[in-house]
Amino acid sequence: MIFILAWRNIWRNKMRSIIIILSIAIGLFAGIAVLALYKGMMKSRVRNVIDSEVGHLQIHNSNFKKDYEPQFILDKGTEVLKAVRQIPEVKLAAFRSITTGMIATPTGSAGVQVNGVVPNLEYSISQLRKKIINGKPFDPAKRNEIMIGQKLAKKMKLKPRSKLVLTFTDTSGNMVSNALRVAAIYKSDNAPLDEKNVYVNIEELNALLGIRNSFHEIVILLKNDADVEKIQQELRQKFPVYQIESWREISPETDLMVKTVNQYSYIIMFIIMFALAFGIVNTMLMAVLERTREIGMLVALGMNRLKIFLLIFLETFFLTLAGTPVGILIAWLTIAYLNKPGLDLSGMGREMMSSFGFGTMIYPEFPIDKLSGVILIVILTALISCLFPAMKALKLQPVEALRS
Amino acid sequence: MNTVIDAHDVSKTYNLETIPVYAVNNVHLHIEKGEFTALVGPSGSGKTTLLNMIGGLDKPDTGTVYIDGVEITKLSANQLIEFRLKNIGFVFQSFNLIPVLTARENVEFIMLLQNVKKSIRDERVKQLFTQIEMDDKMNVRPAQLSGGQQQRVAVARALASKPKFVLADEPTANLDSKSASNLLDIMTKLNNEEHITFLFSTHDQRVIDRARRVITLVDGRIVSDSAAVSTKHEKADV
Repeated sequence: MIFILAWRNIWRNKMRSIIIILSIAIGLFAGIAVLALYKGMMKSRVRNVIDSEVGHLQIHNSNFKKDYEPQFILDKGTEVLKAVRQIPEVKLAAFRSITTGMIATPTGSAGVQVNGVVPNLEYSISQLRKKIINGKPFDPAKRNEIMIGQKLAKKMKLKPRSKLVLTFTDTSGNMVSNALRVAAIYKSDNAPLDEKNVYVNIEELNALLGIRNSFHEIVILLKNDADVEKIQQELRQKFPVYQIESWREISPETDLMVKTVNQYSYIIMFIIMFALAFGIVNTMLMAVLERTREIGMLVALGMNRLKIFLLIFLETFFLTLAGTPVGILIAWLTIAYLNKPGLDLSGMGREMMSSFGFGTMIYPEFPIDKLSGVILIVILTALISCLFPAMKALKLQPVEALRS
Repeated sequence: MNTVIDAHDVSKTYNLETIPVYAVNNVHLHIEKGEFTALVGPSGSGKTTLLNMIGGLDKPDTGTVYIDGVEITKLSANQLIEFRLKNIGFVFQSFNLIPVLTARENVEFIMLLQNVKKSIRDERVKQLFTQIEMDDKMNVRPAQLSGGQQQRVAVARALASKPKFVLADEPTANLDSKSASNLLDIMTKLNNEEHITFLFSTHDQRVIDRARRVITLVDGRIVSDSAAVSTKHEKADV
């Protein structure tokens, strides 16, 4: 009966209840929309990291990443690569030779990471070909070609066919220089990486480094994201002397960002519901004060304080909960509508988004995994919001209330 | 006969910090089971205050109130709520039904608070609505009932918990004469047939005329009690 009483009580003042239900629905919609946007952004960032930056897993000589010294090649790299490719969960495995160096033009110089790649493999593993915005991919008939990022090209005032000199040290510690011609300028969603990474043909780089058919890195793409830890463990057991890292270890900032944004999204939800709580408290307080006499009468008849509290809580809870499915539904419909075409945030600043490694097209995704958390926040909000009005109701003395 | 209400030397003062006003002053009251008693007196004579103290809604400054042998003046606020639920039926001046519940639900509500089984509740509700002659209005909300009908439902609600007695504070004050007469008929019938004890405050002469015992309060003191008078007359006759 208390449930029926509470439910009917919230409809005593329909307009007031509808307004608060709508404000809860809109607040919830806003909260879920932010969560969906964050989820879309994080998913896209993680996909970028995996699909076009570092892959799922990487294998290096355990000394290589300390100083990126070229002598720390992957011993028996070809055998390791063969073994990796035989793992059924592996979709693709590519190899790279890597060194750090400096590119110089008549107008300036810049420090870079030189990636010696097998063009066709690289096009598949990091979608390098798709990122080309100016120029042409590596031409097998030509030698000494280099692909550079847009940000570096702008900084160094380079364009396709421009010449530059690349200098680095070989495995013997000798300075090596090579004149290269820009084949193409690429652009990814990660501007800092674009400024740092240049790509050359692996054979040419290996020849200059003096490592012949060796390489420094194996990049692995798996068929399924969920297999990362399993395959990492498997590889660590098979090749204990190598450093085998997952994308989370290679790009800890991305992992941290995902975790932080997860926490932030709950904080945002809390802030929205906290603001709404004031509206709910106000409505419930009005409802209690309007019914002083009635509540006094209920106490006089023998309704104990726990039941009075329960009545006020249920009214607040129903009021809050009534807005919840509406808010969730609006959010779901909006997100479903925007999920395919995506949301173009280029207006917020392409450069700014890119500097954090984000693309400007975000595909919001309904945060189904956070729905239970959101509902818990809603229930908590109802509980907190009912406290003050309920205290007011509990303090009512039946004699005074009936006299009012 | 059993004593239902026993109030000893009950006093209640308001405005203690300025000029004290005795709302109830050294009242002794003794009510037996099955009585149909009217508490009368001018406005401000202390009728409602006395009823509130007997009903456990208010506490006297001095004195004790026993209901069916239990000293309710010693009970805590929470114990009083429980006591009222099980022992006292209330009928208030301005109907005070829960507007969002139907007449039936209003009556059933008290039994729900007492955790009475559904089958018993249904039977009791049916019986009460027959007694108040409102079988056809059970599923109607209070707003759709006349004042008299609402007050009859309030009487049914007061009786739902099978209380030791019913306290009614000016039950006919807001009723027209026909509705008041109907309500009094029902209350009298319940008193006569089921020996339900009624104690009500009133200044309605029609109610006073129907009461078997009339206690008059003036300035918080009992100035006359028809029971005492009749006892004296009975003694004189002997």
